[in-house]
Amino acid sequence: MAGQALNLWKDWRLHGIVLAIVIVTELIGTHGITVGPGVILLLPMLYAVIIGLILYFTPVVKEKQSKNAETLVFLSVALLIAKFGVQAGPAMPEIIAAGPAFILQEFGNLGTIFLALPLAIFLGIKRESIGMTHSIAREANLALITDKYGLSSAEGRGVMAMYIFGTVFGSIFMGLLSGFLATVTPLHPLSFAMATGIGSGSMAAAALGPLVAAFPEMKETLTAFSGVSNLISSVTGLYMSIFIGLPLTVKLYEVMTKKKNNQKQDSKGV
Amino acid sequence: MLKSIQEWVMVFTIIGLIMLIGNWIGYEVLPLDALPGIIILILISLAGLIIHRLLPFQLPSIAYIGIIGLIITIPGFPGSEQINVWTAKVNLLAIATPILAYAGISVGRSWFDFAKLGWKTIVVGMCVLLGTFLGSAIIAEIVLRIQGII
Repeated sequence: MAGQALNLWKDWRLHGIVLAIVIVTELIGTHGITVGPGVILLLPMLYAVIIGLILYFTPVVKEKQSKNAETLVFLSVALLIAKFGVQAGPAMPEIIAAGPAFILQEFGNLGTIFLALPLAIFLGIKRESIGMTHSIAREANLALITDKYGLSSAEGRGVMAMYIFGTVFGSIFMGLLSGFLATVTPLHPLSFAMATGIGSGSMAAAALGPLVAAFPEMKETLTAFSGVSNLISSVTGLYMSIFIGLPLTVKLYEVMTKKKNNQKQDSKGV
Repeated sequence: MLKSIQEWVMVFTIIGLIMLIGNWIGYEVLPLDALPGIIILILISLAGLIIHRLLPFQLPSIAYIGIIGLIITIPGFPGSEQINVWTAKVNLLAIATPILAYAGISVGRSWFDFAKLGWKTIVVGMCVLLGTFLGSAIIAEIVLRIQGII
């Protein structure tokens, strides 16, 4: 991916546009709209993606800028992953102390593949579904898919769509979901508290809220379980996706679409 | 290889400067205060990209970048505390904004394919979150019961 990076730094037009976008969006700042148990978070990065997109359709951005931008996404994401790394190091002793229960529970994050991938294929989504369903598509996963397939690939479009969905609606949906599930299922609140750690701080907070409200006598334990679990997810999430999540999704996608294609051919034959 | 490294350094310098400005406007950290932090993040990224080129395995470069960042900040690693202090000055969201600006410009090219996902994104998205949350809760329930905690 980065191998093709040649003379990208000379695209001053592109860097100038991005600098202008950053200045404008950071000046607007972060705003939140409360909806039920969750908050719609409007972050500078959200305005940035929208402004960038709109500018593509204006004469300001030429085809060349858009092509170069793809490799630049990959390189700038490297800095983000480095930041994740240095945030994770200090937490290692805590994670080791937390015990195997927390780490085992991380495998539950793969649940998305078995639930959402078949649905996506059923809805007729092609390779986009790999990017969409291999994880909850936070920054680290955006980086992984960009690294492996490129952002303008089908997989890249999928992960980008899910990234935007999660950023805009994630915390509202998680807030509603956790409140609902905690009351209708027989699972223990502690299990749900561990499950809130899916690798996104705002989603974890939104999911924890209704749990604490429903079981106020367990407030401290629930909060601690959620915090540790989210910490572990944010450290292990990337590697979980690299080694298990993404290969599993690709495999399952291939198996399922092959079967579907065969069925189509069969019915054509009849 | 050398040519790539040169290119990476130039690109990281430009992106780093944009991030410093965003960090300054949005999070009120003076660029000079955040400079050592961004330099460290750039060095980690460079090291990861170079290792990725040198090693024969098919692991994404971000895997190395994340691990290097993690190792040098584990308590007890020489200088880990100083690295912590420096990199803490570079706000995560300030890093994310320029990335998403580049991403928006890049996604524009495949916008019509992207838009085709439309309402399906919302349906699949809900199932992604439901699957992750419920999957984790069920495994947690099993493990906690085996351990006799609940």
